[in-house]
Amino acid sequence: MAGKPVRPVNAIDQTRRMLSLVTYLKERPGARVEDVARAFGITEDELVSDLDVLPMCGTSFRGGDLLDIDTDGERIWWHNPDDVAEPLRIAADEATALLVAARAVSTLPGLRESDRQALLRANAKLEAAAGEAAGASSRLSVTFESEGGVFADVDRAISERRRLWIRYYSPARDELTEREIDPIRLVSVGHTYVEAWCRRSEARRTFRLDRVAEIRILDEPSAPPEIELRDLSEALVQPAAEDPEVVVEVGPGGRWVAEYYPHDSADELPDGGLRITLRTPDPASLRRLALRLGRDGRIVSPPELADSARRAAREALAAYDGVEAQGPHGGPAVHDG
Amino acid sequence: MAIAKAERLMNLALCLLGTRRPLSKRELRESIEAYLEAGSDDSFSRMFERDKDDLRELGLVIETVENLDGEMGYLARRDSNRLPPVTLDAEEAAALGLAAKVWQQARLAGAASGALQKLRAAGMPEDVDPYEAHGALEPRIPVHEVAFEPLMLACRDRRPVVFDYRKATAAHPEPRHVEPWALECWRGHWYLAGWDRDRGAERVFRLSRITGKVRSRSGQFTAEVPDVVTVRETVASWAGESADRSALIRLRSGSGYPLRAKATAVRELGDGWDELEIPYGHGLDAWLVEFGPDVVVLEPAELRADVVDRLRAVAKG
Repeated sequence: MAGKPVRPVNAIDQTRRMLSLVTYLKERPGARVEDVARAFGITEDELVSDLDVLPMCGTSFRGGDLLDIDTDGERIWWHNPDDVAEPLRIAADEATALLVAARAVSTLPGLRESDRQALLRANAKLEAAAGEAAGASSRLSVTFESEGGVFADVDRAISERRRLWIRYYSPARDELTEREIDPIRLVSVGHTYVEAWCRRSEARRTFRLDRVAEIRILDEPSAPPEIELRDLSEALVQPAAEDPEVVVEVGPGGRWVAEYYPHDSADELPDGGLRITLRTPDPASLRRLALRLGRDGRIVSPPELADSARRAAREALAAYDGVEAQGPHGGPAVHDG
Repeated sequence: MAIAKAERLMNLALCLLGTRRPLSKRELRESIEAYLEAGSDDSFSRMFERDKDDLRELGLVIETVENLDGEMGYLARRDSNRLPPVTLDAEEAAALGLAAKVWQQARLAGAASGALQKLRAAGMPEDVDPYEAHGALEPRIPVHEVAFEPLMLACRDRRPVVFDYRKATAAHPEPRHVEPWALECWRGHWYLAGWDRDRGAERVFRLSRITGKVRSRSGQFTAEVPDVVTVRETVASWAGESADRSALIRLRSGSGYPLRAKATAVRELGDGWDELEIPYGHGLDAWLVEFGPDVVVLEPAELRADVVDRLRAVAKG
């Protein structure tokens, strides 16, 4: 359920839609099926299935005053429109869903100012129209994170169809690389990303905007090859089945690894820790993780990865020669929960 | 074949909206085919109660009125159900169209498109494609946590809940009794702020650490709900972003870009190393260790000791 691209199919959503549909059709005799489907954000098939139900509905089954709505597959007619079809007030959940989303979008750095203004105006009108129902929307909020300047440049490059030059930080290698990319679209899922065709690797790549150290819009036109856009409702970075496997064992203090790294399995260990199996195209990139975990976890395999973390730690320690060891140090308390 | 639920709900809605006087359960049963076929009185009654709740869920205001004979009647008055006049121009309509697409959660996605459909039915302009109007931006609000929906409803209805929660560093979950105030999504994760009844204090919970089901508890909130709930600040301090001190480190030239981006001062030492001043908050030690031999902490001594300690643990490993 959660995470899938969502299309209302349940009875409540369909009822809600049909109530709006009768109001809409009343004002538009002979409306075209394709126009109505587009206005309601549904497929023509979904609309036709609504049109199959409506003639079975009315203010009284016995009295025979059913809605006389029919279609020839192209246009829709309602032969006995009545005044039951008035625009309905916005429900609390509806107001919450739309207001919270609109507030979140309006905070996106780099959103065009005219769009932001339109959104804020629409929001104010919606709040006024929803009245009390708008109240509960303060109980949900969403903040998108992204880098304002970079965002604006990427957005402009996409609309002007121009190539971008970026200096991009790769945490796996702790290095900055220069690339030319043909941007395709911006995606915000927690962080904001640009999906692009990378001219250096001649492949589709996703770049996190807060890792773009420098950006320039080039004069060359952007010409990404026709590629099928992926469904981004799942994680943005999906490891491939042929990627090498890494096994990490963590204690209770390292359980966060399972929250941050997409993994194949996370099995409970008797001490309250986890044995996590994940795949990555480049296991060496996980040296950072091994170093970060410290006494909260260790790399079980591949052994070369565990070795490289040990070597890095010893090399780092050499710079502290003469520093007295201290006992275990927990750092400031974490007020989690 | 049983009559589809949507058809039954639609008929009930139309009957309640169409009537000028309250209709009794009996009258409604006689008017709606699905209720005639419902079988026993009991199963009809249960079905009717559920249907009324469902219609209220999608925004219908249904009044319950007792008539002179003491019989209950129901109606949905036009004036309490009518959308007040709202005029949106094409740009505003496109902006809302974009906003309605961001939810990746079935209930909220359904509700957002429901709101949009009501506005369309009320005459909102529809000829602008929101994607065209807004360029290539595709914001998405991810909801992967199963605890989200029950907590959203509990926040909305101000219902106390209980759930099992495993703190970041705890081996085992323990039950927490909470009066849920607000949910906030930050950096792609959802957090709950509320009153922890056992601890008698405000607490913030990360939804992904809730194990098992969220169960509702009867009764009211006991603590006052603050006007402003600040989930973000609490979470930011977990993430070490509320730094109030600063640290001095040596960083190998050309490496550690994110540290440089955060630095308040950078000095080139000329020997292949730079000296950086960076904000020092919770979690900095763990972050610095990630850079291995490319970072040396100079001060404060406490941070230096923490980093050495962590490095020793890995070196021994």
